[in-house]
Amino acid sequence: MEFAELIRISRCDRVMLHRPHHRVLDGTLCITGHHLIVSAHGEEPEELWLLHSNIDAIERRQQGMTGGTLWLKCKDLRILQLDIIGADQFAKVADTLEDLIRVEDPTFQYPFFYRAMYNVLEDGWTTFLPESEFSRVIQPGDDWRISYVNKDYKVCSSYPAAVVVPKNVEDSDLVAIANFRQGGRFPVLAYRHEGLAVLLRSGQPLITANGKRCKEDERLLNSVLAREKRGYIIDTRTQNLAQSAKLRGGGYEPELHYPNWRRVHKPIDRHHMLLDSLTKLMDGVNDTNSGTDKWLSRLESSNWMNNIKETLNCACLVAQCLDQDGASVLVHDTDGLDSALQVTSLAQIILNPDCRTVRGFEALIEREWIQGGHPFATRHARSCYTPSAQRSKINAPTFLLFLDCVYQIHSQFSCSFEFAENFLVMLFEHSYSSQFGTFLGNNEGERKAMKAPERTASLWSYINRHEVLPKYLNPHV
Amino acid sequence: MFSGVKPDKKSKVKGITQLGSRSSSSSSSHSSNSNTTRSNSSSGSGGSSSSSSSNKGGGRKSHSGSSSGSSSGSGSPPAGTPPHTQMASHESLNSESKSSSLNSKLGHESMTVRDGSRTLRPDEPPLVPGEQLEGTAREVTYLCPYVGPKKGTLSVTNYRLIFRSPETDPPFELEVPLGVVSRIEKVGGANTSRGENSYGIEIFCKDIRNLRFAHKQENHSRRMVTEKLLHYAFPASHKLPFFAFGYCEQYPENGWSVYEPIAELKRQGLPTESWRITRINEQYELCETYPAVWAVPAAASDNDLRNVAAFRSRGRIPVLSWIHPESQATITRCAQPLVGVSGKRSRDDEAYIQHIMDANAQSHKIFIMDARPSVNAVANKAKGGGYESEDAYQNAEVQFLDIHNIHVMRESLRKLQEVCYPHIDNSHWLSNLEATHWLDHIRCVLSGALRIADKVESHKTSVVVHCSDGWDRTAQLTALSMLMLDGYYRTIPGFAVLLEKEWLSFGHKFAQRVGHGDDRHQDADRSPVFLQFVDCVWQILKQFPHAFQFTEDMLITILDHLYSCLFGTFLYNSERERIEKEVKTKTISLWSLILSNKADFENPLYSSNTKHHVLFPRTSMRHLCLWDKYYCRWNPSMRQQEPVHIRYKELLHVKEQLEKHVDELRKELAARQTHDSPRVASAIV
Repeated sequence: MEFAELIRISRCDRVMLHRPHHRVLDGTLCITGHHLIVSAHGEEPEELWLLHSNIDAIERRQQGMTGGTLWLKCKDLRILQLDIIGADQFAKVADTLEDLIRVEDPTFQYPFFYRAMYNVLEDGWTTFLPESEFSRVIQPGDDWRISYVNKDYKVCSSYPAAVVVPKNVEDSDLVAIANFRQGGRFPVLAYRHEGLAVLLRSGQPLITANGKRCKEDERLLNSVLAREKRGYIIDTRTQNLAQSAKLRGGGYEPELHYPNWRRVHKPIDRHHMLLDSLTKLMDGVNDTNSGTDKWLSRLESSNWMNNIKETLNCACLVAQCLDQDGASVLVHDTDGLDSALQVTSLAQIILNPDCRTVRGFEALIEREWIQGGHPFATRHARSCYTPSAQRSKINAPTFLLFLDCVYQIHSQFSCSFEFAENFLVMLFEHSYSSQFGTFLGNNEGERKAMKAPERTASLWSYINRHEVLPKYLNPHV
Repeated sequence: MFSGVKPDKKSKVKGITQLGSRSSSSSSSHSSNSNTTRSNSSSGSGGSSSSSSSNKGGGRKSHSGSSSGSSSGSGSPPAGTPPHTQMASHESLNSESKSSSLNSKLGHESMTVRDGSRTLRPDEPPLVPGEQLEGTAREVTYLCPYVGPKKGTLSVTNYRLIFRSPETDPPFELEVPLGVVSRIEKVGGANTSRGENSYGIEIFCKDIRNLRFAHKQENHSRRMVTEKLLHYAFPASHKLPFFAFGYCEQYPENGWSVYEPIAELKRQGLPTESWRITRINEQYELCETYPAVWAVPAAASDNDLRNVAAFRSRGRIPVLSWIHPESQATITRCAQPLVGVSGKRSRDDEAYIQHIMDANAQSHKIFIMDARPSVNAVANKAKGGGYESEDAYQNAEVQFLDIHNIHVMRESLRKLQEVCYPHIDNSHWLSNLEATHWLDHIRCVLSGALRIADKVESHKTSVVVHCSDGWDRTAQLTALSMLMLDGYYRTIPGFAVLLEKEWLSFGHKFAQRVGHGDDRHQDADRSPVFLQFVDCVWQILKQFPHAFQFTEDMLITILDHLYSCLFGTFLYNSERERIEKEVKTKTISLWSLILSNKADFENPLYSSNTKHHVLFPRTSMRHLCLWDKYYCRWNPSMRQQEPVHIRYKELLHVKEQLEKHVDELRKELAARQTHDSPRVASAIV
């Protein structure tokens, strides 16, 4: 494919751009393979650069032969209005943009074309290598080891090459357990609290309606428990959902076979439920014209705050089990790709002050979300402005909800975070659309396959530069 | 970013969990180690020093998954989730035990007042200078809605009610200045009360909380307590002096000198060619609710002033509140004109308004902002009042700001209290909040003030503000717009001046609106007008965190002493009454406390560059929040879990050091420039 085939028009004069909080910009529109650029005619050089990948949906309203208006609804939640003169130009611009925002092949994405214009002092691709990260958690002679059983991503496509598992579980056992867990996501170590209680995450066990069991899985879970200690399995689905999952080949750990583990259901909404909630929230946010301002009740009925509450509640429960009971915890939902990651990462922010520093938070995002296999590409392919008919069930603002939860903790503990609120906003923006390769693809395997570490720049390389970082720091600390 | 101050690596944010009794007992034992000072060990009605019985807080379900009482709340998260604020929270919360001192500080500022050297018996509460113990009842149970019943000793003094329970360590303490008491009711009769804790009293407070105490019938203590409480909580109804007249604490600063009317007018640049300062009301004869000193248009003679006074409700003529230092556009305030049904006119009043307009050469127009909804303004004609007709007042444009009257506001606050105290319905928090309309009213007041500030600043046009009497909504509007326009009022002494001037000297009827020492709790003249103003100030402060020299703690302290009657500042209805009662000589000013403890209220993020900025806050509903730190502060789960005030003091210290360092470097640079050879000097520059 060549971008030239898609770009029916690359330049268009006399367009008017309306943006929130900005003056109307009267200028020239240019369309490149990755950007929409509007530059002002006026004396002040004012420009808007918008990545096509940032555009979630385009709405067009043609006005006869005189032209028309395009609404560009962005994944960063902005809505831009572009007035274009001339029916022919209008149609060409609209068609071009619609094609460009749907370019699927990730290697055509901007990160593969972007060249950093600064000296990279520290390569973000190697800043948070599992070996160095986990060396903070495990010491030689420990009960834990790094396993490379997944080095070619065959045992579990969504896991990284290196994972931390109990020392006494052989790689061959891991393969057996992978066959027994959804998506091959066998239980791995997420966090060790004060060197004792551990936090694990996984996919659901494939119990099926026949009540299958896996001795290796049971042995792995038992081996992490200290003597006479019980652990908790936090299932982020309702009891009913977990029950009915058996019929679809999934299920939950039965007490009979996991006698030392207590199972707790803490339901957290996922996937399209979350996206619907965000859609309602943004409907309310963007509806500034409604005469009778029902903002608060609209906010409430969007259920977004409730989602935050449930997620935080669950994370607090996990934190409490680890900290106060000294009990180990395994968290999973169905796939172990969404709410499980929210919960394990929030619990670490609650418990571990290191995660509240810039570096520590970056490491957490990298470990739990990026290497942990949250499918950013599919989840963020569409967002709340895409009409619901065109959405897929696998589009979801899981990561945004997580960041919002962090924001809530941040606003309650404003002196405990090294970074400021805008750091979270910046991560949100880059997770949806970015010149950096950090959030590309769905997992490490995919990123390796497209050679992202060699061919793209890392967000961390950029952010951690001393020219950039200070503006994201919290003045309270 | 200040270097050298790093986030606390040790601390855990365990607080956000939904309290398990285990965590609270562990941290309260922690806090008992460090809470040695008196002000630290006290607590609000919620009792930050709660311990194992904290499970009674919210009827939560025990969790199937947690073995030993870590009932981490599947069922009842205690807190609501307003858009940008707290959610679930913890009772005795953090390992950083200092927070309890913050809580107590916010709950009871007066506790920071030090006692003399007298030694105390163990169960005798420490008293403030001038305070006397009037009665003590033992074996009283305080029915705390958050931590459950506490058994202890209830003492009544001429200033406070003090309840101490030794059941926990540190002892549970509750103290309430009697000034906040709105009404006292007996619960349960002598023969009818069955069951535990059903016989006692309930105390309804003006600061969004109610207290229930249970007495033992056989002790016969209820009668004594009730009598003493009625006596000292309502001195005005018993022809007794307020406690402020007996309070004799020594403060290094004298708050009464913070506001000098002439000095403030001079600060604004008066007198000018067009404005003069007059003492025509020195004896409060022309207008008894106005101050002694006015600034009026120079073109108006004293006789004109008398004629205008006759045409304005209660003689409250348009008087200068604020003048723009550059454009000379002004804010003047007054009461409604006495138009009546017949549409009366006054040539003098019309000419006077024209003088105000002429005093501002920048504009050939003047706005008259009537704070009321237009229907109310029209309805007032039937009572002899009304508003300026644009036919009679050339070049004037009348705008109505749609702010409702004191009765609507009182009702709204009553609903808000129901939503906030004692428990918050988590699942309908936002819609319940919306139904109180409290934030709606805040929005109206704020956007009215914004409109005034905008006319003065951006359109360089003078504005006359009035409502009916010009002492409620008018005070809100002028004070808020002045706060937006003039950075001086956003400093600690400047804010004191603003309150002294726009609220106290211009006769906001504090005694009547608050009902100081008065037992008629249903009095229709009571209304939270001033509270609403302070809430608006908080909303602006929240939107401009660097533009205010003070923190919200100062606002809360001001509100606490609005009710406490510890200081003379807010007593009585007008300047005249305060002169008559010799308030300045016989009582202490609230500003003495605040100016003497400035560091407690100082905002480390304040940038004095913002002094020259005009603040235009956003007044959309989306930008307004409930001030939960005030309205929900009795609920332990809604409290700030971090000792932010300690961090603030640290930051202030760092800031001071950095400023000193900059000063030294500047001096060094200056010294080098004068002494060194020109070549080196130019290299530095």
